[in-house]
Amino acid sequence: MTRFWSIAFSAFAVAFFALLLGIFVVQSIPAWQHSGMGYVTGSRWFFRTHQFGALPMIYGTIVVSGVALLLAAPVGLASAIFTAEYLPRKARLAVKVLIELLAGIPSVIYGLLGILLLRNWIYDLFARFDISSGDTLLTAAVLLAVMILPTVVTLSDDALRGVPGAQRHAARSLGLTRAETICTVSLRQSARGLVSALLLGLGRAIGETIAVFLVVGRQDNNLPERWLSLRPLLESGQTLTTKLGGAEANIAYGDPLHWAAMMGLGLLLLAIVIVTTIGGVWKKVGHDA
Amino acid sequence: MRILKSSSIKSLATCLASLAAATFADAGTLKINGSTTVNLPVAEAAENLRAEKKMDIQVDTQGGSSGGISMLGEGLVQLGMASKHVSADDRAKFPKVTFNEIHIGEDAVALIVAKDVWDGGVHELTKQQVRDIYEGRVTNWKDVGGKAQKIVFLNKEPGRGTWEVFAHWAYGDPKKAPQVSLPEVGGNEETRNKVGSTRGAISQLSSAWADEKKVFALGIKGDDGMAVLPTNENIASHAYPMSRPLFVLTDGEPKGDARVLVDYLLSPAGQALVRKHGYLSLDQLAKPAAGN
Repeated sequence: MTRFWSIAFSAFAVAFFALLLGIFVVQSIPAWQHSGMGYVTGSRWFFRTHQFGALPMIYGTIVVSGVALLLAAPVGLASAIFTAEYLPRKARLAVKVLIELLAGIPSVIYGLLGILLLRNWIYDLFARFDISSGDTLLTAAVLLAVMILPTVVTLSDDALRGVPGAQRHAARSLGLTRAETICTVSLRQSARGLVSALLLGLGRAIGETIAVFLVVGRQDNNLPERWLSLRPLLESGQTLTTKLGGAEANIAYGDPLHWAAMMGLGLLLLAIVIVTTIGGVWKKVGHDA
Repeated sequence: MRILKSSSIKSLATCLASLAAATFADAGTLKINGSTTVNLPVAEAAENLRAEKKMDIQVDTQGGSSGGISMLGEGLVQLGMASKHVSADDRAKFPKVTFNEIHIGEDAVALIVAKDVWDGGVHELTKQQVRDIYEGRVTNWKDVGGKAQKIVFLNKEPGRGTWEVFAHWAYGDPKKAPQVSLPEVGGNEETRNKVGSTRGAISQLSSAWADEKKVFALGIKGDDGMAVLPTNENIASHAYPMSRPLFVLTDGEPKGDARVLVDYLLSPAGQALVRKHGYLSLDQLAKPAAGN
């Protein structure tokens, strides 16, 4: 009986996901017919003239969440090592509760903090680079880094604590210092868990809407002129989620092609999340085998 | 400040919301959505009615005027708020809905600038100068009478009533407005906040929100060389070119709780709220606006 229900509910979950994917695929078909691969590679999005190129938004999503992960990963892993390896048990639980509370703060609160503090701070800090406003890809990335930090810390901490204490003791009794034990035993043994902690953080960053919406500037079609420069990080941009969350979804209603193009953005977002997740799971399975 | 669902896939939320609305349409809550401009007096009226008559009212500002029109069209709300007329396109999108525009007051769209621009000497612009700035042909304030400083145009999102009034004035028809890729701002609070804190910034904003402390409303210079400011007299006489009607929208004649709210907004108490938030009440207008 238990077996039946577990299979039934798993099937239900899979079917629901397939349905979701199917809806987005079907609804976005007119956009693909209209623009072809240009929908993904095109750099111009002007809905009134029916030009739909999503590349600047894909770029925005990848850059914002990627930089957020780059910023959050070292801090998050270091904090996790501290809580898991150095703190005594009671203090660790107290710190963990605090960190998990941070993870539960609604994103609109982070967004407002971003507006009140972060964008002004970035605006002043980088004033010498002649930046137009405090709404930049970097602002969004820093805000997201703060938002995903609790997720990264608490999951990394769990992964590190999953390494059996006996292995640590063995390493210490062989004469390794505490730092050496962490590097050679704890981090190695928990590598898979740490990677999935980072990927879950990345997933949250990719899907975040409102906080990014408030500080990214929502400027369409702003691809960098030089790809290897850091300067484009200081410009306004648009991500897939901020476009979907903006007023354009209301305008698109009733124009089948425009609506399909918006649905296509949802599909692209889903695709990016799927690739990220599969990346994590695949790595996991690979190690287990 | 507009509140969005944190769901990354808004459209899915809309689909689910339609289902939910079909199920709970008559749950007794009066649901209102639309323009942040119209929201101010309506939200306060709702507050008063909640206290006085224990009515259950929910006011939201998702998507601005076009959000109000589309949510009324889809039957998700009983009242829409709009700071623009319901266009023929909108009516064509929702053929089953009889959009009824109820005029509750008048507002103007101002071009607002940050304090440093105002202090730099820019107090008015001509239509041509505004077009040049909007389309990126003029990028420095020194070219339009200010000090040497980069112009940062924060564009109101298309679909907002404010943007449509602006585009109608600058280009004759929002559909003829050139496609630009400027940083965008949404609700009035966000616009005021961001223009106020960004050097060299200009944007379009309801004139009632120009506080003359952080952000300043520019005069519009006509062909006669006279600058017209968005004052109450100039809005009422239509001497100021970017004035606009404020509407609450219903599907057909308002009924039930919606009727109570509409009547309240048109009563002296409701009209006082319209004035309180810086808009013109109906009796202040020289003549009734067309289309009502």
